[in-house]
Amino acid sequence: MASAPLKAQLTDLLNSMFAMDFLDEQFKELQMLEEASGPGFLAEVVTLFCGDAERIISQLSVLINEPVVDFGKVDANVHQLKGSSSSVGAKRVALVCVKFRNVCQENDKEGCIAALHEIRHEFDELHKKFQTMLQLEQQIQVLDSK
Amino acid sequence: MASSQVVKVLIVDDDVVTRRIYRTMLLRFGFEITEAGDGKSAVNQFLTGNEYDLILMDNDMPGMNGVEATRTLRGMGILAKIIAITADDANSRGAFLDAGADEFLLKPVNFTMLTVILKAFNFLN
Repeated sequence: MASAPLKAQLTDLLNSMFAMDFLDEQFKELQMLEEASGPGFLAEVVTLFCGDAERIISQLSVLINEPVVDFGKVDANVHQLKGSSSSVGAKRVALVCVKFRNVCQENDKEGCIAALHEIRHEFDELHKKFQTMLQLEQQIQVLDSK
Repeated sequence: MASSQVVKVLIVDDDVVTRRIYRTMLLRFGFEITEAGDGKSAVNQFLTGNEYDLILMDNDMPGMNGVEATRTLRGMGILAKIIAITADDANSRGAFLDAGADEFLLKPVNFTMLTVILKAFNFLN
């Protein structure tokens, strides 16, 4: 089948994402849900998550650069990002959110700046891998439908 | 149960990603799904005459949180089953159960655990 090399590539990508803790068991839960409910679910959830995460991270950047930081608002945003990242199985992003909340609760502005950099880095890495995943899935679908 | 034979579910969570996941989980059972982004919107659903058999309730939401929403709904005489679903630690479990929730799950939700609870509530054949 023409899509076989792409399927192998996708499998390798996902295996490496699990091995490097980009993803955890919750993502496997979503993969099982997609098997039951049909293609498109994972793509939709991943796209929703990435858009939402991008929005929250931008908002965090604004909040932390205020002259007087509202740590309550920062914490609320990080909590939201932790929730959505846990829901999709984005393990490394969720773990950095835990660290971020700890420094936030200590009203540590420098700590928050460092945590924001880390979240930005982890999310960007994950986002690139998700984009590759979605592109491969699309190409596979096109080939399989021929 | 609500008057229709289809199980009617209200998903209450401020995270759109989480709501989408629950929606997909529950649509597998043929349930009818409505979503609300915070506790006040959830309460308003009932105030405007809607009926639900089951509510999935997050806790940390802007405005009215899940514990307050649960307490308000029980105070209104709402008998729908309420499953509290939260990433909070076990401290919120006691508050939710005191407010009138029927069950409690920690996020991220495992589909198998949710199914067990739905069966226990007789929502599944």
